[in-house]
Amino acid sequence: MPIHEKSLIRPENLVTHDDLVIDGVDVSGHWSTFIKGRSVTDYNEAMQDEIAALPGGENIHRCWQCGSCTNACTVNAVNNDFNPRYWIYLIRLGMEEELLRDKDIIWQCVSCNKCTYACPRDVMPEGVMKATAHWLELKGHTPKSPSTIFDEEFTRQIIKTGKIEETRVITRFFRGTGQPLRQNWLEALIVNLVKRFPVFYLMRLGLSVVFRPKTRGWNKARHAINEYVHEVEEANRKALGLGGEGAK
Amino acid sequence: MTKPVLIVGGGPAGLSAAHALATAGQDCVLVEKEAVLGGAPILSGYAKLVPSHEWAKDAIGGMVDRVKNNPRVKVMTGAEVQSFDGDAGNFTATMKDGKKVEAGATILATGFTHFDSVNKPEWGFGTYPDVVTTVQVEQMLSSGKGVRCPSDGRVPDRVAILLCVGSRDRQIGREWCSKICCTVSANIAMEIRESLPNTNVYIYYMDIRTFGLYEGDYYWASQEEYKVKYIKARIAEVTSDGKRLLVKGEDTLVKRPISIPFDMVVHAIGMDPNVDNMTLSSVFGVDLNKYGYIDKRSTYAHLAETNRAGVFVAGAATGPETIDDSIAQGQAAAMAALNALHAAHKTAAE
Repeated sequence: MPIHEKSLIRPENLVTHDDLVIDGVDVSGHWSTFIKGRSVTDYNEAMQDEIAALPGGENIHRCWQCGSCTNACTVNAVNNDFNPRYWIYLIRLGMEEELLRDKDIIWQCVSCNKCTYACPRDVMPEGVMKATAHWLELKGHTPKSPSTIFDEEFTRQIIKTGKIEETRVITRFFRGTGQPLRQNWLEALIVNLVKRFPVFYLMRLGLSVVFRPKTRGWNKARHAINEYVHEVEEANRKALGLGGEGAK
Repeated sequence: MTKPVLIVGGGPAGLSAAHALATAGQDCVLVEKEAVLGGAPILSGYAKLVPSHEWAKDAIGGMVDRVKNNPRVKVMTGAEVQSFDGDAGNFTATMKDGKKVEAGATILATGFTHFDSVNKPEWGFGTYPDVVTTVQVEQMLSSGKGVRCPSDGRVPDRVAILLCVGSRDRQIGREWCSKICCTVSANIAMEIRESLPNTNVYIYYMDIRTFGLYEGDYYWASQEEYKVKYIKARIAEVTSDGKRLLVKGEDTLVKRPISIPFDMVVHAIGMDPNVDNMTLSSVFGVDLNKYGYIDKRSTYAHLAETNRAGVFVAGAATGPETIDDSIAQGQAAAMAALNALHAAHKTAAE
């Protein structure tokens, strides 16, 4: 069947065959392009519950699709494809395949929370966006975002020592995101620090880089935090039907 | 002394009118064509009513008892009015069995008829046993048997409720909103989720009209507490793949066709004008409106009046109506009838 409006159809739904004969009729090539059906044939009923089980997603089932979140959205103003209202609907009905088309922009939420204040039903769309990004990550659909990599290193140090040590956070973040260590802005910052900071503070900075002191009596806190983090992560993974340690 | 008031129809509106008149010291005659009083909630076996959550047999049953036990109300069941003559203050109704009833005024509380889903064959009612109506689900609940697929008695995994079946549809000459089906459907959906927590309920809608305070207790509660899912789609057809029902339509929010399997499909049927309205119109000499309901005059000056002096109307006889409002209209019609009787009595005395 010749089609002139192919631009209206998603490329993956257009099929041509190099050599195909049906009932004695040759239907090969461009002039016999087939369009795949695009009907939704089932709902994945687990999806809403999975998102609702992750922090921030608890109120997703309240949504009635008014679009206040999308209208209020900072990111939507820049990118029309960023549509929290639409994603919430897909999740509620379990249209996973459709949601995954947008997996590379969902994490772009800037958490300005304008949607949170616009929403008439307290869905807390910002939380839902966070939960959804988390879900995509846990399910292995998306790699860790740069901010997740930063957060992880930051958290790791806090849990270990009760403090962060900036040089280590920065270097590990660069390594994790594949960025070079030598960056112009960073060099300028260090040069200026060395030039202007009192010697006493520079010495303390240097010492902490080398020795990485812990907060006094931190062991007990570390133990408690670790236990809590483990508990939450376990619950999240269980809610998503995932075993083991997975992506992390 | 004035003549009694003839009340036609023993549903919520008629029962309420009878009680109101008797309480005010006015004799009345309540005529009901069925063998029992109570109207649709009793005859069709409704379960828990909106908004009280009381069982219909208790709530409406109480109204029936109150009227039956009132010495000022004469109840005639299994009776129909054959002809109706005379003027305000001085009517004579002749029953089908030849009995005559003298009346000073009359109140038509003749109610409605449930839409017959066979008139929308594309939605599978009458073809597939697991396509049922809201009335059937009410009966499943009120009988205590629970919601089960009629074909094999299994507990449905997934139930679809289709709204506006027999309402808001020019194709079948029903342009009105039946007013109660959204709320009733939300109520049924919650009942299903409560009794069968593993059953998912989807409501396919064009608009949701859980008006007034029903918004919170039904629409919001069904979503927030019972996780009922609402999908904006008018279904094109209900078919079967041999095992389950297949619901086809367009999900208008994602602009995609849907073809989803369900175990049970429930038609939220609307309220038709009473099938007897043409007869009632000719017997009582009252006009019908363009939709086929008994025509009311303007409410501001003529509450509950029809075009014929001394003949009043209340409840779903005038259009789709809730039980609560039918009861209120029954009382309003009683008041209007009392006023008319006294006016006629006074004129006669002068």
